[in-house]
Amino acid sequence: MLPFSYAARNLFRSKPRLLQTIGGSALVVLLVMAAVAINQGMKRVLSASGSPHNVILLGAGSEESVQRSEVPERAAGIAAASIPGISENLGVRAVSGEIFYMSYLGLPDGGRAEATFRGVSPAALHVHSEVRVARGEFPRPGQVMVGRLAWRTLGIDEDALQVGSEVSIHGQSMVVSGFFAAPGTVYESEIWTTVGDLRVLAQRETLSCVVIRLDDPADFSEADLFAKQRLDLELTALRETDYYGKLSSFFSPLRAMVWVTAGLIAAGALFGGFNTLYAAFASRVREMGTLQAIGFGRGTLIWSLVQESTLACLGGALVASLLAVWFFDGATVPFSIGAFAIEIGPGAAIAGIGTGLLLGLAGALPPAVRCLKPPLPVALRM
Amino acid sequence: MNEPMIQCRGVSKTYFKGRTEVTPLEALDLDVPRGEFLALMGPSGSGKTTLLNLLSGIDSPTTGSLVVAGEEIAKLPRRQLTAWRARNVGYIFQLYHLVPVLTAFENVELPLLLSGLSKKERHERVRTALELVDLGDRIHHAPTELSGGQEQRVAIARAIVADPPLLVADEPTGDLDRGAATRILELLRSLTEDHGKTIVMVTHDAKAAAAADRTLHLEKGQLLEDACVPS
Repeated sequence: MLPFSYAARNLFRSKPRLLQTIGGSALVVLLVMAAVAINQGMKRVLSASGSPHNVILLGAGSEESVQRSEVPERAAGIAAASIPGISENLGVRAVSGEIFYMSYLGLPDGGRAEATFRGVSPAALHVHSEVRVARGEFPRPGQVMVGRLAWRTLGIDEDALQVGSEVSIHGQSMVVSGFFAAPGTVYESEIWTTVGDLRVLAQRETLSCVVIRLDDPADFSEADLFAKQRLDLELTALRETDYYGKLSSFFSPLRAMVWVTAGLIAAGALFGGFNTLYAAFASRVREMGTLQAIGFGRGTLIWSLVQESTLACLGGALVASLLAVWFFDGATVPFSIGAFAIEIGPGAAIAGIGTGLLLGLAGALPPAVRCLKPPLPVALRM
Repeated sequence: MNEPMIQCRGVSKTYFKGRTEVTPLEALDLDVPRGEFLALMGPSGSGKTTLLNLLSGIDSPTTGSLVVAGEEIAKLPRRQLTAWRARNVGYIFQLYHLVPVLTAFENVELPLLLSGLSKKERHERVRTALELVDLGDRIHHAPTELSGGQEQRVAIARAIVADPPLLVADEPTGDLDRGAATRILELLRSLTEDHGKTIVMVTHDAKAAAAADRTLHLEKGQLLEDACVPS
């Protein structure tokens, strides 16, 4: 076996080549880590947004889309009175009739940005238990409460909206009453207003959905039975987890695209890396011949070349990991129904290191085999 | 010690250069006794290096029998031939072929990494080999920090450190000035006289060949002359 120091020192034979290899592998690893973190972040936010205790009652013809759904306003009260097992807080049943609406928000600087609005009543805080008023207060008529990450989906500065800022919906002036947090959920990207205001602004006579919170998730069958029996209300009951699970499936092509894009760029970088290693190893054909003449087998020499390339690629993986933590960790990414925070966690780290190892192993093999291909007498003359 | 170190019978080597068949060696017979210092001379293309490659197991003959160090190596599979080389042959190249990222000490240690010796034993043998070539004070120098003559002495130390019975040298003085060349030849001479090594050396230089016990001339793949040179 050749000493490990041989592989390590060979890395520094040509500094430009070393930088090229480290840079190329860092790019690939960074892309893979970003793809993993984006996919995990999107999945996480969608799965965290659904509570197993919650049931969404949607309009029967809505094809399970809250945007298309229309639910009679009286359905909230009837559901509260009819479905057993609903959570209660200080004698108030956890039933929230909500309007979901996408439109433009007029900003204090005169600009406007597309936003997701949710018209709610205070019962929403009982139903969506992860939501906390972080600053200011729950909105009253003429007010809005802004999600902590709404600035990302609105495409504005984080401090562009403050408690007391004046915004508008369809020209109607509203005041920011506060900010809310709902860590790891899509709600944090929404803007909440009273259901009464949004009914007027959206010119609706119906709710989008009724969300109820059950003490025991097993009581879903009661809610389902209610939806099926009350034909006059034309409802369908859906577990909130299933709703966001389906949303997650809806976004799976987007996640696949992230992978495809990362894969294509990575393939380009990989071929660049191949070229660098072909050039690096090609200049050492005679040295490989000498080592074979001394008695080292081809397997030993290939292993040493692979060690060398793996070291460089792991160096790249380390650089990529540092860059990922520095630039990506904690960054928020907007998507159509919200925003999510990127977390460079163990999954992304394992994927990054695994990619670095794979690049080192797989990337070095073809150039190493080619380097050892010439017959020994020919190699010694090169 | 009656058996010769090298016994060549009817050895031919043929290869193709494009579509042209080339036969650098044809039906060659050669015996080299143990402990002999043999010089091979001849013009370029005469087959000297090809013969050296065959004798050292770097290449295999197309036909014929080749017994070196008591083993028929003509038909040995590549893996076995590699192991045989590690046990039996030390190489000295014209351009030294030292590994540039390793120190003189580490270059000399390379053949011992295949031997199964302990680290302590390896290091003792490396120091002995380097002292034998009078480079005991340069062990931690990189090849780039050594002169040509010193590099060649490191290469010789590397060739002898595993104590192989056969040393092959391809133009070992071809890249050196006269003074350095003389010291290298004296060193080779002492290896055969004091340590009983069999040496086969390819050279263009008649003065270098004069250091050998015997000089053979190769021309067009044939041994044409067998000149005895007093040692």
